[in-house]
Amino acid sequence: LTLIRALLPVLVFALGAAPRGAAQAPPPAKVAGSIKRLFGPGAQVDSIRVDSATVLRVSRRDSLLGFAQVGNVIGKDQPITFLVAVGPDDRLKDVDILVYREPRGGEVAYEPWRKQFRGKSAADSVRVGGNIRSISGATISVHAVTAGVRRMLADLTAWHRSGAIR
Amino acid sequence: VPRIAPIALLGLLAFSPLPAQERTTVGGYGDVQYTNLTGPDTPGQANVKRFVIYLAHGFNDRLSLHSEIEIEDAKVEAGDPVGELEVEQVFLDYRLTSWLTLRTGLVLVPVGIINETHEPPTFNGVARPSFDQDVIPTTWREIGIGAAGAIPGGSGLSYRLYLVNGLRAEGFSADAGIREGSGEGQQASFANPSLTGRLEWARPGLTVGGAFWYGGTANSYAPLGTGAFAAPITLLALDARYDIGAASFRVEAANISYGDAGVIDMLNDTPIGSRLAGGYVEGAYNILRHLAPASTQKLNAFVRHERYDMHASVPAGFTQDRSLARRITTYGLTYKPTWNTAFKWDYQLVRNAAGINEYNVLSLGMGFQF
Repeated sequence: LTLIRALLPVLVFALGAAPRGAAQAPPPAKVAGSIKRLFGPGAQVDSIRVDSATVLRVSRRDSLLGFAQVGNVIGKDQPITFLVAVGPDDRLKDVDILVYREPRGGEVAYEPWRKQFRGKSAADSVRVGGNIRSISGATISVHAVTAGVRRMLADLTAWHRSGAIR
Repeated sequence: VPRIAPIALLGLLAFSPLPAQERTTVGGYGDVQYTNLTGPDTPGQANVKRFVIYLAHGFNDRLSLHSEIEIEDAKVEAGDPVGELEVEQVFLDYRLTSWLTLRTGLVLVPVGIINETHEPPTFNGVARPSFDQDVIPTTWREIGIGAAGAIPGGSGLSYRLYLVNGLRAEGFSADAGIREGSGEGQQASFANPSLTGRLEWARPGLTVGGAFWYGGTANSYAPLGTGAFAAPITLLALDARYDIGAASFRVEAANISYGDAGVIDMLNDTPIGSRLAGGYVEGAYNILRHLAPASTQKLNAFVRHERYDMHASVPAGFTQDRSLARRITTYGLTYKPTWNTAFKWDYQLVRNAAGINEYNVLSLGMGFQF
């Protein structure tokens, strides 16, 4: 039973120790920065394997703050690495674009676009043209990230309700 | 809850659905069009306007290649006046940070809306706006080197800035403007390296862009002068896209100033203007928003009005051709069962200030991208 208290230094160490082959992994410092921004500093992070995915459980002392997951979607041709964080109520806290690699469409990382997802639950229809407005010139990335967030929100909610993560 | 050792964080990184080290992606777009001009002896014509294969390759997390190979008018045969096979873009990106990606190769000139975003489902109307054919020579591409990225600080601004092969004055003409002066990646001389760039501000529903091109056009043609910036041409362009509810709007405008037009016009049968200017406004309304509010399909009714003048000004000693002051009104429907497929119908009223050779066009088309 190991707790990971000081997340950031550990992650930085992990990056340093990572084989060079892990070139397209999300930069650990970015994951750590995202968790810190969304859940506040000093949160405890545990990693849970569920199905074939890895979920981050975020807590402080004995109270659950929420869960986060990192994933990739293909935009036009390059992977977009993003993070979805939900609260204990299964509502989406935020989406972070960790790495954007496409030639055009990076507007999906902009706060005014990402904030449209906040507070959404798996029961909400998270759809471009519905409750998510698109950005002209970034249409492909907008559709890819929206679909990725929708799937991830559904997974996290289902796992939480089934007790696979708690 | 199973608690996992610190090493598990490494596991998180390794077991996330990560892309492979190197990967090749195939995509494409295309459209098939039917057009029928009004008037006698103008039978309708159906054409595979374009079929484009998009190929990309990620060499590693930072270095990627992006390319398009285009076949226009279905086939290419020796002696056939139509039909083209061309590399529409091929460039390498090296991503340093979110605000700086280095780019080199055959790149799209980042002016206007359609030149960079030309996939058929992205615009209303069977054909691309005429403005994006005559004034901005879509698909305008040149070999060059430059940078692109998002301006940090949450400003919503992004940029592209390229140093590219310049235009060649000998290709200029009255009715096609600067189109045939473009190198298009073939035996480009780089005699007149030119600068082009774009600054774009975006938020959900609204994208506003400003762009420029500046460079010489002499291309070692002595009467136009020597030096990298001999016989310079300046293009300034503005564009905006705004979506609100079921309505969407587009505006594009450009001004091309060419002070040395007189010299090259002595040589050409069809003199290019010393200034080309104009643009269009377009409004569209998604009727399905009311008929089927839950649907993600779209049925856009649209109208576009283009006004541009290839002879906004002419050099001293030349006569303005008023038939080159074009006014084109297009109205029609775009049905989009998905965001990346479209079935189109439109009717165009092609007019000009001289009132000669005016006609109407009925068009049908289908387009896709993936």
